[in-house]
Amino acid sequence: MYILQATNIYKRFQHTDVLKDISLNVEKGEVVAIIGPSGSGKSTFLRCLNRLETIDRGQIEIGGEIMVSNNADGKAVYRGEKDIARIRRKMGMVFQNFNLFPHKSVLENLMMAPLLVNKSDVNEARDTALALLKKVGLANNADSYPFELSGGMQQRVAIARALAMNPAIMCFDEPTSALDPELTGEVLKVMKDLAQERMTMIVVTHEIGFAREVAHRVIFMDDGLIVEQGTASEVLLNPQQDRTKAFLGTVLMAR
Amino acid sequence: MEYIASLLPFMLEGTAVTLQLFFLTLVMALPLGVVFAVARLSKFKPLNVFMQFYIWVFRGTPLLLQLFFIYFGLGIIGISLDRFLAAVVAFVLNYSAYLAEIYRSGMQSIDRGQFEASDVLGLSRWQTLRHIILPQMFKRVLPPISNEVINLIKDTALVYAIGISELLRAAKIAALRDYLFVPFIVAAVFYLIMTAFIQQFFKWLESRYDYYR
Repeated sequence: MYILQATNIYKRFQHTDVLKDISLNVEKGEVVAIIGPSGSGKSTFLRCLNRLETIDRGQIEIGGEIMVSNNADGKAVYRGEKDIARIRRKMGMVFQNFNLFPHKSVLENLMMAPLLVNKSDVNEARDTALALLKKVGLANNADSYPFELSGGMQQRVAIARALAMNPAIMCFDEPTSALDPELTGEVLKVMKDLAQERMTMIVVTHEIGFAREVAHRVIFMDDGLIVEQGTASEVLLNPQQDRTKAFLGTVLMAR
Repeated sequence: MEYIASLLPFMLEGTAVTLQLFFLTLVMALPLGVVFAVARLSKFKPLNVFMQFYIWVFRGTPLLLQLFFIYFGLGIIGISLDRFLAAVVAFVLNYSAYLAEIYRSGMQSIDRGQFEASDVLGLSRWQTLRHIILPQMFKRVLPPISNEVINLIKDTALVYAIGISELLRAAKIAALRDYLFVPFIVAAVFYLIMTAFIQQFFKWLESRYDYYR
């Protein structure tokens, strides 16, 4: 039973094929790391999964509900806005640039969606938010504003904010790429904890170390295609494809 | 000094008219500008194009001419508005156009990521606008808005052209009656006092928004 099924996803920007009929099935509790050079389409693919980008062809099914599928002409057709809103709520998203709401305190950032979207009780939302802040190690920063926090702390708030909606799947789009190297550790630790709690995670990342340590499956993408996938040791330690070898060579050399 | 004191009641009456027009315009144009800006950014083409046309017309012609159109022009086709009402209508329509463009630039300066974060959290378009975009937009547009508001208090002087006795007209009447320049100086002082208040008010507003960056 897959919690997410993306089948033959095809997307075009202007005159380039960005995603060339790629498929991905994710099991509940699985941690999938997607690696690859910039411009390989990995972020676009992730963004297609929760309709931050639309696809031109293919089918996406989340938690047993179809969000988009092909019509008779082979063109992708999305469900109505209401259905999509409900289906997307199963997915949490963490961005490279955090995208916290700067005019709201940390606590308000976490409570906003539960109150507005789920119409949660205020006290309940506050309790959940405070518990999540504790979990990401920011129990003392509930009343801070985002600009007062370091990048690593902001990203941890962003993770807590996504978790506040109780998603079934967490998507991470290069969550540590905007951070100073000394701050990536605290974010990766929170992600590791999540993985240990059996959260389903799809992580687009440059952190080969994290992929090796935490991911159940590593996918290498290049040029809009899934070039190679397998367990972390298969793909990272013993790659079969030349393109994977070349990429890992440059990444590891840079360290 | 005695002469100035004798001018005051008359000048203050004019100031009252000036302030009425000023506040009525603001109360209506400030929110209407937001509505127009949202309409201007609408993906619904006809609305979008209509707003562009509207903004072009009201920014592209003198406010004085718009005042004539609404007061005299509408009279010709049988709709006669009271002078003051005509002035309010002209000012609101004109200032909404300018404010709409300021709001629009403010909204467009908000990072895409704010829309995306709202979107993935499940906020509706309206909730995103109301809770995420507009509050951040207001902080950014305060300086250009304060410009417009100061312009407005001075622009109110234009309505003396359709015979409304506001501050400047009161000064002019007194000056011609007494063959003295003093009333104009008094008027200048009055305008400066009003603009000083506006400046202070916006300074205070900006400091209130200072709690985040």
